Amino acid sequence: MSKQFSISPRAVPSWTLRVSVPFAALVAAAIIGGSILALSGSNPLEAYRTMVDASFNGLRPATRTLTLATPLILTGLAAAVAFRMKIWNIGAEGQLYIGAVTASGLALALPTSTPRSITIAILLIGGIAAGAVWAGLAAIPKAYFSADEVITTLMLNFVALSFMNYLIFGTVSYWRNPETRYPEGLQIPENAKLPMISYRLHYGIVIAILAAILIWWILRRTTYGFELRTIGDSQEASRYAGMRVNTKILSVLALSGALAGGAGAIEVSGVVGRLDPHALSTHELGFTGIVVAAVARLNCMTVIPVAVLLAALMTSGSSLQRVLGIQPEIVFFLQGLIFLFVAAGEFFLANKVNITTKAPTRLEVDGGLTGE
Amino acid sequence: MNDTVLVLSVVSAISAGTPILFAALGEITTERSGIMNLGIEGMMLVGAITGFWIGVETENAWLALLGGALGGILLSLIHAVLAISLRVNQIVSGLALVIVGSGLSAFWGNSGDRPTLVQTKTGVRFDPIFPEVIRDLPVVGPVIFGHDPVVYLSWVLVAAISYFLYRTQTGLSLRAVGEDPGAADASGLSVTRYRYVSTLVGGFGAGLGGAYLAIGVIGTWAAGLTAGAGWIAVALVILSGWRPWFALLAAYAFGALRSLGFTLQIAGIGVPSDFLAMIPFIATYLVVIVVSASPTRARKVAGPAALAKPYSREAR
Repeated sequence: MSKQFSISPRAVPSWTLRVSVPFAALVAAAIIGGSILALSGSNPLEAYRTMVDASFNGLRPATRTLTLATPLILTGLAAAVAFRMKIWNIGAEGQLYIGAVTASGLALALPTSTPRSITIAILLIGGIAAGAVWAGLAAIPKAYFSADEVITTLMLNFVALSFMNYLIFGTVSYWRNPETRYPEGLQIPENAKLPMISYRLHYGIVIAILAAILIWWILRRTTYGFELRTIGDSQEASRYAGMRVNTKILSVLALSGALAGGAGAIEVSGVVGRLDPHALSTHELGFTGIVVAAVARLNCMTVIPVAVLLAALMTSGSSLQRVLGIQPEIVFFLQGLIFLFVAAGEFFLANKVNITTKAPTRLEVDGGLTGE
Repeated sequence: MNDTVLVLSVVSAISAGTPILFAALGEITTERSGIMNLGIEGMMLVGAITGFWIGVETENAWLALLGGALGGILLSLIHAVLAISLRVNQIVSGLALVIVGSGLSAFWGNSGDRPTLVQTKTGVRFDPIFPEVIRDLPVVGPVIFGHDPVVYLSWVLVAAISYFLYRTQTGLSLRAVGEDPGAADASGLSVTRYRYVSTLVGGFGAGLGGAYLAIGVIGTWAAGLTAGAGWIAVALVILSGWRPWFALLAAYAFGALRSLGFTLQIAGIGVPSDFLAMIPFIATYLVVIVVSASPTRARKVAGPAALAKPYSREAR
């Protein structure tokens, strides 16, 4: 008698499986994270309860969570839309910075007498366009020379970060407040700030949700979205079928960069209020967007709740420290665990693992046939 | 003569470049087998905290280095299982490693009140191995003979990995697995085994680099002390064209960039440090494009053909 594993690909995983596998990943991450907490002498259940309290219990915590979820929805969409076509844009981080630089520059340049709606529209469009152009630096070499976008988008992140740092810390630029001793960005005028909903939650959340619905609609209901998904499945076949793959590469990377650039503009206008490299880079919103997209399994509507979940996790770190004295970095570890387990779960969604116990067949007794 | 700006710059470039070199040597081995591990930054951080911790506990610098390497190997094992056995997207798995590694190391490193290595200095550092007479020779003294043994270890590793990849049967097989796993499999090589081992070698290199950074270069632990060194190593692998000797040169060039700002300031040339920080990344960006745009030259310096492509026997 021998136990045998056989792995066979699954065409389409069932609905229950698509829900239960990511859920199991969350549970697994919570168990491992809890064990680490227990090993370091904390009570994991107490820690988890504190985290839920800190991010959802009451209007103030909930709005704080949603405020952080806003850029994560957009960077999550940025990753999801590109990954759908198997274009691995891991440059949302840099595209977000360039969007923020552009938006804050525009906010400072526009006359303060400009109506609020027009100012905000201009800086959003500016941030979106800048993000798309920055993504274009990777898209054009990808479309015309098949230069690996993983590396080019990754490299451009660090260029963008250094550039943003330079504008504030390296020189007295247009963005920097010339009067403060410690280098910091100049405050943007009030008419460039997004209106508030409640506490620090601003209307950016509405823009982000509308963006999710729009991208979902484009992917599901338009020829463009159909072609994009088809190219993702097989670039060769799509080319053969007459789809213009190069144009799609350019447009999908531009769209992805636009979403990340928009996130940067919204952060400046709704939260940070000036070009602040520390505040803009501390949550690694672009990289976290990749986690959001992966956990949401590249589904644009699922991106919204996943972004809220990860935002809750991230905002709860400081409370963990304040209430229980636990190092706040545990939340990044938990986030990484969720990411790992969800990634591993993809294997079980794509493949069926059969475990059979059976008597050895005659061929196996004889040594079997070689090869497949 | 030994304290001229140039000599001091070269010495500090070698010191700053060595951790990156270890990480890049490991990643070259990994990528040569067709596995891309973007998690170097995470593995270096785990290597740094493990090395630091063991250094404090045992007061033995070599055990600390070994412990750091083990930490890196453990983290790379996660990547190996995901990328090789479960055929998970390697970019996703590598990025997850960065988050796990930096989160875990910061959580572990900041919990409790651990003394820094500077405070517990008994033996937890590496001393130069050559006698002072040789180290005081003009120019070659500090540049060649002034280092601690770990720097010489990195030179030995460069030669060893280069010899292994190009002059041994196993090295040839490893490269075959990275170029065409299907053909390698058909000729009887175990793709899975080659890829597992070389992924763990990558973890070894990154962990070693992280531990040396904490113990030998900075001399203490701080959360996120790699400050992007792992990403520079990713860039360096591509710039070197996946070749160990070029990685050595590029690592020292990048090491020099880290100290160049100071040197230029002395010389009265004001180049903002942020622009110096960009150079490795811009150079890599340009090299990727130039290599892709020129198919004739690309063959020599392009990456392994099957890089980052999961191999599944069933789908062959």
